[in-house]
Amino acid sequence: MSDFKAEGMVYVATVRSPIARGSVRAIRFPQLPTGYRSILPADIPGRNRIVSFGAEVPILAQDEVSYAGESVALVAGPDPVILEELVATTKVDCDEEEPCLAWESFSSDQVAAKRVAVVGDPDLAFSIASQVYAEVYTSGSIEHYYSEPQGAAAAYDYDKIAVWCATQWPYHVRDSVALALGCREEEVSVRPTRLGIHLDGKLWYPSLLACQAAVASIACGRPAKILLTREEDFRFSPKRARSSVSLRVALGPTGELSAMDVRIAVNVGAYGPLADEILSQAVLACTGIYSCPNLRVEGYAVTTNTPPMGAFGGLGASHSLFAIESHANRMAKALGEDPADWKSRNVLRKGSALLTGEPLKEEPPYDEIFKRLAAASDYRRKYAGYELVRKRRSGRSDGPLRGIGLAFAYQGAGPFLSGEASNSYTVEATLDKDLGLRILTSAAGGAGRVIDVWRRSAANIIGVDMESVTIATPDTDQVPDSGPNTLSRNVSVINRLVERACEAVQKRRFRDPLPITARSVYRVPKPIKWADGQVSGLPFDTAAWAGAVLELELDPWTLEPRPLGIWLCVDAGHVADPERAAAALRSSAVDALGTCIVERFEPAGGGEEATAAARAAYFSYGLLPLRALPPISVEFLEPGKRASVKGIGELPFDTLPAAFLSALSQAADTSFSSLPVSNARLLGSLGTS
Amino acid sequence: MRSSDVHFPKDLTEALAILHSQPGMLIFAGGTDILREQGGRGISLPEDVLYVRDLPELRRAGLTERFLEIGAAVTVSELLELGNAALPPLLSEAASGIGSSAIRNLATVGGNIACRSRFMDLWPALACLETLVELRDQGGSTWMNVNRFVSEDGSPAFPEGGLLTRVRVPIEHWDVYLVRKVGSSDYPTPETALFSFAARAEKGILVELRIAFAGELAIRSQPLEASIIGRSLPLSRRECAQFAESYRSLASSLSEGLALQFVALVGGAFDLLAR
Amino acid sequence: MTISFILNGEDVSAKTRSVDRLSDILRETFGLLGVRSDCRCGRCGRCLVFLDGRLVPSCIVPAFEARGREIITIEGYAQTEDYIDITEGFKDAGVVTCGFCDASKIMATAALLERTPRPSPEQILDQLSSAPCRCTDPEAIVKAVQAVAERRSKRLYHHAL
Repeated sequence: MSDFKAEGMVYVATVRSPIARGSVRAIRFPQLPTGYRSILPADIPGRNRIVSFGAEVPILAQDEVSYAGESVALVAGPDPVILEELVATTKVDCDEEEPCLAWESFSSDQVAAKRVAVVGDPDLAFSIASQVYAEVYTSGSIEHYYSEPQGAAAAYDYDKIAVWCATQWPYHVRDSVALALGCREEEVSVRPTRLGIHLDGKLWYPSLLACQAAVASIACGRPAKILLTREEDFRFSPKRARSSVSLRVALGPTGELSAMDVRIAVNVGAYGPLADEILSQAVLACTGIYSCPNLRVEGYAVTTNTPPMGAFGGLGASHSLFAIESHANRMAKALGEDPADWKSRNVLRKGSALLTGEPLKEEPPYDEIFKRLAAASDYRRKYAGYELVRKRRSGRSDGPLRGIGLAFAYQGAGPFLSGEASNSYTVEATLDKDLGLRILTSAAGGAGRVIDVWRRSAANIIGVDMESVTIATPDTDQVPDSGPNTLSRNVSVINRLVERACEAVQKRRFRDPLPITARSVYRVPKPIKWADGQVSGLPFDTAAWAGAVLELELDPWTLEPRPLGIWLCVDAGHVADPERAAAALRSSAVDALGTCIVERFEPAGGGEEATAAARAAYFSYGLLPLRALPPISVEFLEPGKRASVKGIGELPFDTLPAAFLSALSQAADTSFSSLPVSNARLLGSLGTS
Repeated sequence: MRSSDVHFPKDLTEALAILHSQPGMLIFAGGTDILREQGGRGISLPEDVLYVRDLPELRRAGLTERFLEIGAAVTVSELLELGNAALPPLLSEAASGIGSSAIRNLATVGGNIACRSRFMDLWPALACLETLVELRDQGGSTWMNVNRFVSEDGSPAFPEGGLLTRVRVPIEHWDVYLVRKVGSSDYPTPETALFSFAARAEKGILVELRIAFAGELAIRSQPLEASIIGRSLPLSRRECAQFAESYRSLASSLSEGLALQFVALVGGAFDLLAR
Repeated sequence: MTISFILNGEDVSAKTRSVDRLSDILRETFGLLGVRSDCRCGRCGRCLVFLDGRLVPSCIVPAFEARGREIITIEGYAQTEDYIDITEGFKDAGVVTCGFCDASKIMATAALLERTPRPSPEQILDQLSSAPCRCTDPEAIVKAVQAVAERRSKRLYHHAL
């Protein structure tokens, strides 16, 4: 998007609410030079709303504002630097109300979604439990730091409005712009630009910007482009939702997991798009890889007057997986057991009932994964050794401050993001006369390296070289709607659709003349049903399983954690290019490690102090320096005979934080329940002598 | 639209004359501190800017037996390229932790010292080394010890007026030293600081001890150092604990996090003298 | 003000304002889109250029600072044999990027090898921290830069003979 330019184009800048909650009385623009104009809600020809994953978000907030920084007007003109000055001198007069920022305890009108499930008889199980362990685990907001800040452009193209933006869901952009302009969907043509790394941060927000660009383009009669600065993007676009997972776990006489009482609160910010999905996934993952016969789980997606929060490397499971794995490690330690043994005794096996009651169809390869990890990392010996040092240590300088942590997770591919109007997603394949194979899918924009997985699958089925397989540019005029393109769906769902479309082509190949086109349609299966404390449905069709070991030591003086090694072992099913897949996992592991050590911030409310804090948070936010990285080892299990391709991109985020927390807790001989842990806290817990 | 008048003096004489005519103007060399927190499309600069990066008098570096002299517009990268033979290790370690290599190619030694919003990474090392800096104006020049750039409450107090032109670092031998950056961010924040320590012994007696710590606030106590100098080495555990405790009271103006880290590092430094 | 400087080997002039960043001038006035103007605080590395032979983040260089200087962007650097060494070396090592950070990684590598022909892994990782990106695989990047160093050394050795 940053490179997009069109003749006569105007830039668009955003006037934002200075308050977190209240109403807009008036917007007072400075004298606008010739060629510059303001755009207000009244200028929106259609509906001033985008509809997104169960929520409605205003394109330009009118009357009421719900977070500091919310767009209330636009200014358009030829020079972005002048626009910036004009916006800076625009006054937004508001009637301020007390913002709602609390979310760990909250009022009922803040609840955007609620999920409750009861399995078995948790009350009875708790009443006869041998031991009960309770803790609250919190996860903070994380910035996607994607490859490029968000933006969009729009222009008339003969009888259509053409829209350019980097988006994970081009058809959502199309439909949103059509709604905003009050025109038919066919009159909008979306031409996705390069997406790069997105970490699920460009699912719906690009649609909002696309609507703003389209409205500005119509109002000015020229091409219009809106491109957020990094700072604006950091402060106002969706970030990873914060969460609090309260776990109360009952163990039987031999330490077996007998019951869990879970309360999950996820802060979804204003409006709460994706609230349903994030909460559902968080709740479904609350028992992690374990078999739990008795469970009560209550989950709440809570709205607050902060920018809308959302997905980050997955849609909610990581919050719960972090909590349950950290808790499992803590309980094992309290029992004097190696966590590996406790996990092995309590892990799901084939046929175990998942939270929804459905039996697990495949045997999770926990034992094999652990065996590989233990061999590669020398986990057993190190864990025992570090435990001994921990227990015997009398002072900070008494032996090395080291720890090692172990965590497991799964990444399921299933009926997620099923709350949208369109319930079927399509991929098309065309074999041309010259035996070139074209794959048409709207998911191509964000697929990155996964595109080669599709091409390889397609080439194998049709029996042509990979070079003969092209993926069509995902313009909505050209390709069918393949649904939202997330980290997990690309490899699993889309790949399967590509395969099926190619199989259909291959069936007709020697029967029908070329060119042959075939479509493969994925009808979103019945979603998970939540009713009266019961949840039913299949949480995932297939799952990729993974384990992670992380070893660290603390600087002897400042107690800064220094990772010494990371080992990942993944059951990824069929891996077409193991080197590339390993490289992808390593770079995700680096990102996950960053969230454990440096990456975290608190989204702000309104007012001068909050704004200053938000700006300071932006400037100081950064990725983990490469020199701080340990060696990262990745191993894949050999696939079974009928193994499918599985999505694995979320797994480092699902495993490494818990492994890190446990390692840190061991090294510091203190139980922590949230990351990052400041050096101050470490020093406070360990003392300075 | 706002715009600035940027002056490009060709030499120091011209620069000082311009500065004399407009005392409050912004002095711009590398600009890394000025521009590190302006994330908007346009750059915001005051009405008048004096660009000193190319002044030949500010770009020199030279080594004598007694000191290393560096022009204020020498970049941090250029400083590091002087090499271990010329650069005291305390200074080299402090400089190599600054930003990224690209930032170090822009950031200047003078800009790092003259920062008024906080102490940047070179100050603690330079303070330990009792570095002198030259401030010049049309009336003449003054040499000041960098330790004077701290106000009573520990906040930065780089003097107004005048142009920082040269930095003179005494060349001394140190038996023990420690430089440690504090805070997990590469970027200067309220929770980042640099700890610097150096000590020298002669015939088993501690003859010189310097400890400086600075982020948004600075800590250095020459009286406390003087009270420790003269002890026999190695220090006993009791002495180490006693001295670390004395430093604890100096840390009361720091945040809890920084105070804890400062005291831990002081303890670590004294540990080195106990071995 | 009008500033004159050497851009990718050519003498050029540009009308600039004191508020303009060098990265924006390079992009808007000269159409050099390989230079990005992203974070605007010198940290993301997407705007790296050589300024008088030194790698700098051009987004925190006021345009007026280019006066009389020599600037090389990725477009100019791409005309060199060193560039081919780097791109081929990255390709041989299987480095896959997100498509946005290539220029910054190339420029950072170029600057490193100019001063340190045989960098250690620590030096490589330190230098590549000037071009942070979520797509970076640290193992691959170390291997890649080492491969580039090897290629470059061989080429320079053959030239010298």
